Amino acid sequence: MTMTQQSINESSAAALGARDVVKARRKASRQRFTTSFRQNKSGLLGLTILLVFIAVAIGAFFIPASSLDVTQVTADPFLPPSLQWPLGTDDSGRSVLLLVAKGAQISLLVGFAATMLSMFIGTTVGIVSGHYRGLTGGVLDRVTDWFLVIPYLPLAIVLATVLGRSLLNIIVVIGVTSWPGTARLIRAQTLSVTARPYLERSKALGAGNLHQMWKHVLPNVMPLVLANTTLAVSISILSETTLSFLGLGDPTAISWGSILEQGFAAGAISQGAWWFLAAPGVCVVLTVLAFNLIGRATEDILDPRQETA
Amino acid sequence: MRTVSRRARIVSITGAASVLAAVLLPGVAQADSASPSPSAARSVFTIGVLQDMDSANPFTGITSAAYEVFQMEYPTLVEYGAKDFAPVPGIADSWSESADHSSWTFKIHPGLKWSDGQPMTAKDVAYTYNRIINGKYEQTNFGSYVTAITKAEAPDDLTVILHTKTPSPIVPHPGVYIIPEHIWKSIDEKAVVSFKNEGTPDAPSVAGGPYYMIERKVGQFIRMQANPNFWRGKPAVDEIDFRLFKNGDAMAEALKKGEIDFAEGLETNVYNSLKNQPNITTLASAPASFDELAFNTGAALDDGTAIGDGNPLLKDKNLRAALSYAIDKQAMVDKILGGDGIPADTIMPPRYTQWHVTPTTPMTYDPAKAKELLDAAGYKVGADGIRTDAKGNRLSFRLLGRTDSSTSQKAVQFIKGYLAAVGVEANIKMVGEDNLTEIIGQGNYDMFEWGWGVEPDPNYMLNVFTCANRSYKQDGAILANVSDSFYCNPAYDALNAKQQVETDVAKRQAITAEMMQMLYNDAPYIITYYYDGHEAYRSDRFTNLVNQPDKDGPLTFQWGTWTYEQMKPVTAADAGASNNSSGGSSIPWLPILGGLIVAGGAGFLLARRRPANAASDDRE
Amino acid sequence: MALLTDTPARTPSAAGGGWANPSIRYAIKRTGAALSTFLFVLIFNFFLFRILPGDPVALYTRGRNVDPESIRALEAKLHRPIGQQFVEYIKNPFTGNGPSVKYNESVWDVIGPSLWPTLLLVGTATIIATIIGVWLGIRSGWNRGERFDVVSTNTTLVLYSMPEFWFGMIMLIVFAVGIGPIPGMFPTGGLSDPGVDTSSPAGWVNVAWHLVLPVTTLAVIYLAEYSLIMRASIIEERGQDYVQTARAKGLMDKMVRRDHAVPNALLPTMTLVFLNLGFVVGGAITIEYVYSIHGLGSLTVDALQGPDVPLLQALFLLFSGAVIFANLVADLLYGYFDPRVRT
Repeated sequence: MTMTQQSINESSAAALGARDVVKARRKASRQRFTTSFRQNKSGLLGLTILLVFIAVAIGAFFIPASSLDVTQVTADPFLPPSLQWPLGTDDSGRSVLLLVAKGAQISLLVGFAATMLSMFIGTTVGIVSGHYRGLTGGVLDRVTDWFLVIPYLPLAIVLATVLGRSLLNIIVVIGVTSWPGTARLIRAQTLSVTARPYLERSKALGAGNLHQMWKHVLPNVMPLVLANTTLAVSISILSETTLSFLGLGDPTAISWGSILEQGFAAGAISQGAWWFLAAPGVCVVLTVLAFNLIGRATEDILDPRQETA
Repeated sequence: MRTVSRRARIVSITGAASVLAAVLLPGVAQADSASPSPSAARSVFTIGVLQDMDSANPFTGITSAAYEVFQMEYPTLVEYGAKDFAPVPGIADSWSESADHSSWTFKIHPGLKWSDGQPMTAKDVAYTYNRIINGKYEQTNFGSYVTAITKAEAPDDLTVILHTKTPSPIVPHPGVYIIPEHIWKSIDEKAVVSFKNEGTPDAPSVAGGPYYMIERKVGQFIRMQANPNFWRGKPAVDEIDFRLFKNGDAMAEALKKGEIDFAEGLETNVYNSLKNQPNITTLASAPASFDELAFNTGAALDDGTAIGDGNPLLKDKNLRAALSYAIDKQAMVDKILGGDGIPADTIMPPRYTQWHVTPTTPMTYDPAKAKELLDAAGYKVGADGIRTDAKGNRLSFRLLGRTDSSTSQKAVQFIKGYLAAVGVEANIKMVGEDNLTEIIGQGNYDMFEWGWGVEPDPNYMLNVFTCANRSYKQDGAILANVSDSFYCNPAYDALNAKQQVETDVAKRQAITAEMMQMLYNDAPYIITYYYDGHEAYRSDRFTNLVNQPDKDGPLTFQWGTWTYEQMKPVTAADAGASNNSSGGSSIPWLPILGGLIVAGGAGFLLARRRPANAASDDRE
Repeated sequence: MALLTDTPARTPSAAGGGWANPSIRYAIKRTGAALSTFLFVLIFNFFLFRILPGDPVALYTRGRNVDPESIRALEAKLHRPIGQQFVEYIKNPFTGNGPSVKYNESVWDVIGPSLWPTLLLVGTATIIATIIGVWLGIRSGWNRGERFDVVSTNTTLVLYSMPEFWFGMIMLIVFAVGIGPIPGMFPTGGLSDPGVDTSSPAGWVNVAWHLVLPVTTLAVIYLAEYSLIMRASIIEERGQDYVQTARAKGLMDKMVRRDHAVPNALLPTMTLVFLNLGFVVGGAITIEYVYSIHGLGSLTVDALQGPDVPLLQALFLLFSGAVIFANLVADLLYGYFDPRVRT
């Protein structure tokens, strides 16, 4: 959507009613996006992997609780993969396959939820700091700068330590530590949107700040937010894995990170129980890769000029 | 009873493949200047450990590694024998109680020397005891051993008299480490608080035990050198190093590769991976420790003031007892310990045959019975499958596990599963052990999973359940004591008072058995299992290691330094040599031991280890 | 992971029209920004831990034999007005929070010996990752779309998706413990064998041998990032008019690449290397934990348990300070080499 297009659309819209035009325009752009995405091989690959994992996560609701209850499983611990136990068993005799499937739920949940939080903070801060150029914008900009520079993992560790270990807290920790990148991106975009003539006009017509941001800026930065979201989910999932591995996750929830922690603590390395560590790790890699592929494809389509390597 | 603390600490690390205090490592900084030239004659025995000593000052350090080093450095009047923990002479050759029970007299071995060549006499002993009796900071680690003693005096270099205010069988106890007066007299009551007491290559620690410290790098290693002046003779191994590892896996690999000679406190899975490895001998020693599911039986201060936010339902002993039937202890032994343990009942592990009690009506796994008892006690299953009491309060409890221990992380999962099966909900929360101590002390819990290392005498463990040892208030703050279930039963306390002054073993056994049975029935704890200690060493390199007690006791981290004194490096021409003891083991201590076992209650040593605010440290 | 989300933000923002020497103005501005960030971290670090529940005295005395007198002294210290405590803390941010709870020593005494292993690990890994990453990036960027490019880009993308500690564990199982026909030839952890004199050449070899696996792990993960950014820069430079012109003039492809494109494209990559140190440090935390290396990372994991708040605070401050400093260096370098940002 270049500026010329916009202006043309805006001016010819008078007869039809601006709202419908906007709707139609957005619908068209959605269709364009879908068509282009279908042609993007790696994007489709990513999407396929992701759908598989989502299916697994949903399927995991049907795993009987007894098969993950340490008091009710009967298999020997540390069994290597076999027909009966496709991914072997853990140190309590639970099926690693089922564990990993169950882990998909928490890992994806934390990944999405933390990303939502991060996107919400990042987009809000980005738009507000881009829109208000005075003190408010300056302060927010500065705060973004600060959080951008503070090393991520030490910050997350410190926050997780202070907040305590629970599912909600790990979401908060990841969300709170990963927003500044988004804020920066959105701020830049907001600045360019705000400079567009139609926004000037809307301002002149007496639209309030909130109206401007909500009705004009937000829809325009949204595609960028979405593209950024897919990449951010991959980072959130990696973060969840790392924090859980360090024992900062919810100790009662099964996630890929917590399975890795459990395996490391249970001596899977000296037992040579590679399946116990390999399975959750491969899941993490595939999911993160899927989100990265989708994110890159989205970026390519939305902003074809930019060569995202 | 430092021993409780020592054992306890070992326990904590066995499970902790997750992070622990200390960090491994050879380290970049590994002693260069200090490294002795590796002449063929010099033998070094390297022990891998998972937890560091917290301080080399015996008045400050509390971890098991710290105690291991202290007992290598400092002699005691009496020691626990290697065979069966019976008391044997330390630097005192003999001891006796005065006829009127007002004092104990010890005869010190003549001609003793500290590692720096200064004479070690009765004066050092009297100095140490008096310093603790009159000290404040010095009381924290050792005060409990001297509660009955009013004064120590040394009429001559070979005689020490300890004056007591009440008759007490616990005076000849191996608990007090004798320190050299000529060193410590310059460290006053203020300086002792921050005194590090770390030996360096240029200024090694001054010791009277078999080894003295020549170097310590926090979080990396501790180096101990054989003491040529040790009174039982210089040990055969020239140097003993403790090397810290971050996790059991790394330690096991180091042992396989010969980077270390001994691995201590191994977790079951890691231990199993060392079985049947060439040149490595593994040892699962008979349990001296247990883990338990503990309840908040009604948290209160020692004066009875209620504290904390524990669920009041757990005050009902019928409920607690019913839950005892819900736990499958055998399955926990099999699945969590890999079979290296035994299902537990009462607080003294069976290793201590004299004191162990088998309950009259064992509450073994029987979920049907548990449900029956719960129904009978008025806890009916609610709509959501969770039981409620008559008023509709759900049997839903918080269950605290320890992040520091992978066995604890597993155990809470099992407990949760077993309780759920009988309609009781457990909400797991994991906290660090240090944190847990704090939470327990304030009474802010319902249930937790933890354990104890148990020393040969039952006194300490029995004291954990007295009314007086509940938390207390000082300067407005609530401080933890040793009681962590807040069990308070006047009948129990009365029996405890009796056992503490009973010098006749058989009579005391009868009393303690009654107390243990009482605890079992009232179930402030459901003791889940006694677990084996796991050790492994390079039998191709060292031989003559000593079990304490004999046959199935541990080889290191004992109550004493028997292995360090008697083991030898394996030499090329080793064949016949192993029959002749050399070095430190040349003294025929076994016969001496036999001859000197003290009769009656004098042999059974008890003491409370430490004042209340230190309670936390006694936990594993 | 900085690359995908943060890169746009990382470019130093352009300063307004200047009245003084723009270089100096720029330098002052960046330094000021770095200082303000550090100040923020200082304040944040202080107040964050004040919101921890529980009596701070209990926090500091946990699990320790402390006589009543010391407790009172500690109470007197910790129950002072927060303003007074803050002043104390600002005077000495590292040790102002008291000694390490776990080690019962000044935090500097605890941190000191751990500094070198981390520097050695992170430094070596960064250098190796940079060299290989840049080389890969140049090759695939210049020959965009060719087989080499496709393979290396896809590989780096997968590496980029890996948790570094997991990769480390897999390396451990395969090359240190040994799996199937592969013998466990590398050490399982640590930085040297016990008793090895690390100041001798034999000791260096020993340390290098111990470093192989952890350095490879870290380097492989980060070279992915560096090669991606280098590739992107090369592609951009290649599209520039001057390169096209040079090639049109018949200059040898190799020379154009070496003399024009690469030097220009190197700048963003080198900047990223510095900016990325914060993430490498994060990676070092888990890698040191997995490989039992007694560095700052392991220390952080230790400090988590308990938690050892004074130690954790000091480490957080140290990590943040180091990264802020590295960022400043990157900004200044960027400003020096690319005058455009100064205007």
